[in-house]
Amino acid sequence: MRFPTVAILAALVSSAFSAAFAQTTVRGRVYDNNTMEPLYGVYVIYGNNKGTTTGMDGLYSTNPGPGKSEITFSLIGYKSSVRSVDISSDDTLELNVGLDMDFMEIGQIVVSANRQEQKIAELTVSMDVLKSSDFLKTHITDPQELINKTSGIEILDGQASIRGGSGFSYGTGSKVLALIDGLPMMSPDAGNIKWQFLPLENISQVEIIKGASSVLYGSSALNGIINFRTADATNVPNTTFFAEAGVFGNPRNMNWKWWNTPRIYSSLSFSHLQKYGNTDMGIGINLLTDNGYRKYNDESLVRMNLRLKHHNDKVKGLVYGLNINSGYTVKTDFVLWEDAAYGALKQDTGTVSLLHGTYLTVDPYISYKNSGRFTHDLRTRFQLSNNKFPVRTEDNSDGYSFYSEYQMQYNVSGFMSITAGITENYSKVVSNFYGDHTGLNIAGFAQVELDPLPHIKLVAGVRVEQNSLDEIRDKVVPIFRTGINWQVADYTFLRASFGQGYRYPSIAEKYASNTIGSIRIFPNPYIEPESGWTTEAGLKQGISIGEIKGMADISVFMSQSINMIEYLFGNYPDPVTGIFGYGFLATNVEDARVYGSEIEFDLGRMFGKFNTTLSGGYTYIYPVEFNKATHQNSDIYLKYRRKHAVLLSLNTAYKRFDLGFSLFAKSKILNIDDVFLNELTREEILPGFYDYWQKHNTGYFTMDCNAGYKISNVLTLSVAVKNLTNTEYMGRPGDIQPQRNYSIRLAGNF
Amino acid sequence: MKNIALLLVICCLFQVFSCKKDSQSEKFKLLTGPVWTSDSLLVNGEDASGPGELLENFKGDVKFNEDYSGNFGSYTGTWSFAFDETQIVISSDSLPLPLTAIIAELTQSSLKITTSYTLPAAGTLNIRMTFKPE
Repeated sequence: MRFPTVAILAALVSSAFSAAFAQTTVRGRVYDNNTMEPLYGVYVIYGNNKGTTTGMDGLYSTNPGPGKSEITFSLIGYKSSVRSVDISSDDTLELNVGLDMDFMEIGQIVVSANRQEQKIAELTVSMDVLKSSDFLKTHITDPQELINKTSGIEILDGQASIRGGSGFSYGTGSKVLALIDGLPMMSPDAGNIKWQFLPLENISQVEIIKGASSVLYGSSALNGIINFRTADATNVPNTTFFAEAGVFGNPRNMNWKWWNTPRIYSSLSFSHLQKYGNTDMGIGINLLTDNGYRKYNDESLVRMNLRLKHHNDKVKGLVYGLNINSGYTVKTDFVLWEDAAYGALKQDTGTVSLLHGTYLTVDPYISYKNSGRFTHDLRTRFQLSNNKFPVRTEDNSDGYSFYSEYQMQYNVSGFMSITAGITENYSKVVSNFYGDHTGLNIAGFAQVELDPLPHIKLVAGVRVEQNSLDEIRDKVVPIFRTGINWQVADYTFLRASFGQGYRYPSIAEKYASNTIGSIRIFPNPYIEPESGWTTEAGLKQGISIGEIKGMADISVFMSQSINMIEYLFGNYPDPVTGIFGYGFLATNVEDARVYGSEIEFDLGRMFGKFNTTLSGGYTYIYPVEFNKATHQNSDIYLKYRRKHAVLLSLNTAYKRFDLGFSLFAKSKILNIDDVFLNELTREEILPGFYDYWQKHNTGYFTMDCNAGYKISNVLTLSVAVKNLTNTEYMGRPGDIQPQRNYSIRLAGNF
Repeated sequence: MKNIALLLVICCLFQVFSCKKDSQSEKFKLLTGPVWTSDSLLVNGEDASGPGELLENFKGDVKFNEDYSGNFGSYTGTWSFAFDETQIVISSDSLPLPLTAIIAELTQSSLKITTSYTLPAAGTLNIRMTFKPE
């Protein structure tokens, strides 16, 4: 249900006018019944279109007058709720209302796109939102797995690529920026994402922007961002936990089975959120052990997080707090296999290296939101990221960074708001592997949002950024973005956007010098930054056909990379000795373009008592090199990209039971590094890989399924089978993905 | 607030309009100017330009085009500078690996590059190629 703007304004004026004569007030908070998050922009209507809307904190206050009346709470994407009230003159009634989602995901609130709360349908860019309830049912405990099973995204051995915007660079120099609560969490040395330390045990939702986002988030957001938003405490204390155990089955190729005892994994997770007076508290703990399905590839992990938020009782709107995320892992990463015939699940002993990794972020912040037009946020993050190799101590690396940002928002008027801020990121790396380095990144950004006409939103932003490494300053870089969203009809939103991106090379790409097994890495201190832009047009459509409710989103997009950085195999001179040798060197290889389109949908229907949802997506990309001299596309495909990817997820719930199936299909990888195909080098690096690749690079199809039973109002018992089809498939060369595996979980929520 | 936004916009405009189109370096001009012709093609100090020898296909004219394409003897491919223009990388579908070489000398009258390969059967091959303008 939607009301014309004029009617709303009239209702507000009328409401204010009548309030002058009678002091009857109904006030309260409107929230999402599932997440308990406050809902912004809810219409609170009584009588003949009189009423108000909720603010950012979900609060409202209205004056229906004395006596009986019906108040309707409605918001796009949620089922309307009608409440009858009977209020005496000069009385005040507290009325908190929870709304249920109406399968219409277009009304959900997100923050990452414009650094402020907005409805997802009104964005100018493509965004996917993952709810914690989505991945709890499917027994996903690894953030990499969670993101990899999202439409249009592929993660190759830790390296995320959104809509084909990134290849595979051996884990360094991510072009996708990961954030926890809006603050970057990239490692200062390799510029990669520390996936295992993301606090999945206490996540409200994960927001993914598909496309260059550097104007608001700076370097590394060249290909998009993934923002892990942790959950706030609500008035009702909430505790969740689960205990899970799983086992890997046999691989399809029994020649690869190397174990005699079952390969087991297990995890324990606990989270508690509670308010104490004006203070919100949250704590989360996760323990994981994974024997691994591959020899010399196992992990033990402990992860903890703490959230403290205090609402000052003397200064309204003043909030300050402290978030801490920490983790410790003991693991052996998988680098190269022994051989394709019998050793694809055994690591070449020459590349085995035990790692003790430590991660810590401490985030003090303060925020002030008064009743006027300004909001101010000052947020900081101290981050520590240490890699200790007990055997290969020469690879040890300690990284420290201190990030701070100040952001101000100013609502100039009802149709215009400005967001501006400055950021600073100081980093220090102490390492034999990379050498010792210090870096400083300083930036300023500003963005204007306009509602010039009813149903039209415009966004334009600019960022100016400068990076310096070891006190050598790079040039100042200005980048821009703009976009438009047009609500064509009640549930139809058109959008178009253009955004630029930029990425400074990581310290690893510039200075890493090492030999891992048969692979040598050369440093390249002269490597240049890479940049690019993304443009897209899209349509988000709410769907209500009979009993089917939901939404569909279709987009066409194009991105260009300039001076793209990739690791190239070659015969390079050692920068110190001048002696030539074979290995990899980070290189500005070429310009590149990716054209594509994407369809996503989320539908729901009740079949009798079966509450059923079907969601999924299809992504098509055409990724090619672009000749900057001739301004023509070449016919050479970019490496580590696939043209087609399909995801389908079907879930149904009946009384205490729920059942879900997820299908994943991806076409073949179009191109890989020549070193794995070249007859001079391929057997030396990955024995047997070439023949395996010729036969098996055909794309793949897999299926996951899960089933749960609610034992009581608190406890749920569930089982999951991943890779039900026991498909044999590979990520980056030599990285065979998990075969069929089974897990059982006991989860609680009270 | 308005002042901050205005300052950012001015900074950006200044940056945009103060950027000159990248002018090519002196080394780029020296390299792409003439058509070079091979003078000496040596492996471990001995001529290797004869029929069937390792550098036979580099014999003849070499042209580094301004669009980073080029002809290198009988090879056709692309070239680029590396390591602050102290190295040159020649890529061709006919070469098993891109040839990365150190620029030992680059003047109007001389181009000298050196590289080295270690092959299991042949040991280390120190390569030195010199070219003169045609």
